[in-house]
Amino acid sequence: MKKIRVGSGSAFWGDMLDPAVEMAKDGNVNYIGFDHLAELTLALLTRMKMKDPNKGYIQDIIPWMKALLPIAYPKGIKIITNAGGANPEKACDEVVKIAKDFEMGGMKIGMVTGDDILPQLEEIRAKGWKFKNLDTGEEDIDRIKDRIVAANAYIGADQIIETLQAKADVVITGRVSDNALYVGPIMHEFGWKFEDPYWNRIGAAVTVGHIIECAACVTGGMSNMWKVSKDPWRIGFPIAEVYENGDAIITKTPNSGGIVNQWTVKEHLVYEVHDPGNYLMPDGIADFTKLNLKEIGTNEVKVTEMKGKPRPENLKVCIGYRDGFIGEGHIFFPWPDALAKAQWAEKWVRERFKLLGAKYEELRIDFIGVNVLHGEVAPLPDYDLNEVGLRIVAKTQTREEADVVRRAATHLWTAGPIGASFGVPFEPRPVVSLWPTLVPRDEVKTKYLVKEVK
Amino acid sequence: MAKIMAQLKELAFARSGDKGDLSNIGLMAKNRECYEVIRKEVTPERVKSHFKGIAKGDVKIYEMSNIDSLEVLLYQALGGGATRTLRLDQTGKSMGQALLRMEIEVDENILKKAKAAEEAIYQKYRSAR
Repeated sequence: MKKIRVGSGSAFWGDMLDPAVEMAKDGNVNYIGFDHLAELTLALLTRMKMKDPNKGYIQDIIPWMKALLPIAYPKGIKIITNAGGANPEKACDEVVKIAKDFEMGGMKIGMVTGDDILPQLEEIRAKGWKFKNLDTGEEDIDRIKDRIVAANAYIGADQIIETLQAKADVVITGRVSDNALYVGPIMHEFGWKFEDPYWNRIGAAVTVGHIIECAACVTGGMSNMWKVSKDPWRIGFPIAEVYENGDAIITKTPNSGGIVNQWTVKEHLVYEVHDPGNYLMPDGIADFTKLNLKEIGTNEVKVTEMKGKPRPENLKVCIGYRDGFIGEGHIFFPWPDALAKAQWAEKWVRERFKLLGAKYEELRIDFIGVNVLHGEVAPLPDYDLNEVGLRIVAKTQTREEADVVRRAATHLWTAGPIGASFGVPFEPRPVVSLWPTLVPRDEVKTKYLVKEVK
Repeated sequence: MAKIMAQLKELAFARSGDKGDLSNIGLMAKNRECYEVIRKEVTPERVKSHFKGIAKGDVKIYEMSNIDSLEVLLYQALGGGATRTLRLDQTGKSMGQALLRMEIEVDENILKKAKAAEEAIYQKYRSAR
């Protein structure tokens, strides 16, 4: 039976490069997918592009391609990356330059565009469509429309497949679903179409894509298996060996560190999926509640019985809009009476803000070492702690208001209880809030282009 | 068999993340028996009260009996979502561990077997390294 090996080389902007290089060398893979985009990233990149039209892509693509192309291209390993961000055109030109420097004449670099729907928002609304907020239920974007900085649709694998059919060696996209980086090559290789009778197999591709798309998160990272992961400092990235019937084996680069077992795969099947019977992706709806997992060897888990349903009519869209500032400050208190000192300081801050007439929409005060992570769920300790940090953080409308919060922590250095130690200075940070919504698939005009290296 | 109170930590592993303001916690039972217990004991009402002051919206639970796991969803629980929240843990990675603090009623015998199951899991993979 025909099979292909697809690996994941990155889960976020700033991920490790060496496991991807190791995979290209030793992974015996056909494709490596690279995800660099979180929900907020497109808003940051769009702003960069507005300031400088030559920017707005993930600049890591340059060192990444310099390290990977000399290994991947001679072996025929294809690279699919969303590092194009808000500017796939420019990223594509940069990669063409790198390939030229390596004298890789004839190499084909493809790009996928059309996910940016910011210019079309008003046109789509004029047709009667409302961008309802999926989190809050707010009917449309009227309240925020003057503050919008980016609007990108999570597009599917359609154009990645076209680009691969045009023989591209590297495919650079903007905001595609992370999942599509894997669904694309799988569908391309097996010739599956977005129609009956392929939906179960596409569901399998969506499931496999989900399992590997967060790289280290299925090979022993972010895992309950942390105690038994092999040499975790040289953790290997995951590889899916996918068969034409839709079954797959999840593994990782041979001889790498880390661990793949039924638990690490389960951890990913329950990770950020919302309704596990209806995992909605632009290429199909996967059902994780029927599949079967079986460990067939060390670091090898076979996944069978994966199911799917036809892809949804609408695409998810993330609209980012400017939404004020966050001011934050930390200060630390030592034994003895560390917690009592921090509680004293909390009262000091609250009273001081009243005195100053500090303005904020929301204020949060945590005790680091006690409840900064588990909040109200964390019990207070019944013994004298070695040290406790006070974290003061507030959401404000202006930078100046945020600065008042930041300064309060620094003032506790000299005006607070004995032993108060001032740590890290923070700058007020601008907030881009997200407005998750939908758009009809037909309104998103995607396309691809392939450039050949001379 | 005597019933005793135990923390969920004894019966299940957890892994959590976010979808906007939604906290998404996966609970993976350590064996089939533990799954049957958590399926009954981990209810939306109890989870909501465990996360009092944090889970501001509904709690919904999906069953994944094929992998002995539950998907626990806490709506409006992450301070408005990663990009604007005041939480240090912006994406709710620590929420799963917080759920493991929840106390449920369980047969002493099942609890004992769960401990043995966990030890066997770690032993198996430790020796496979």
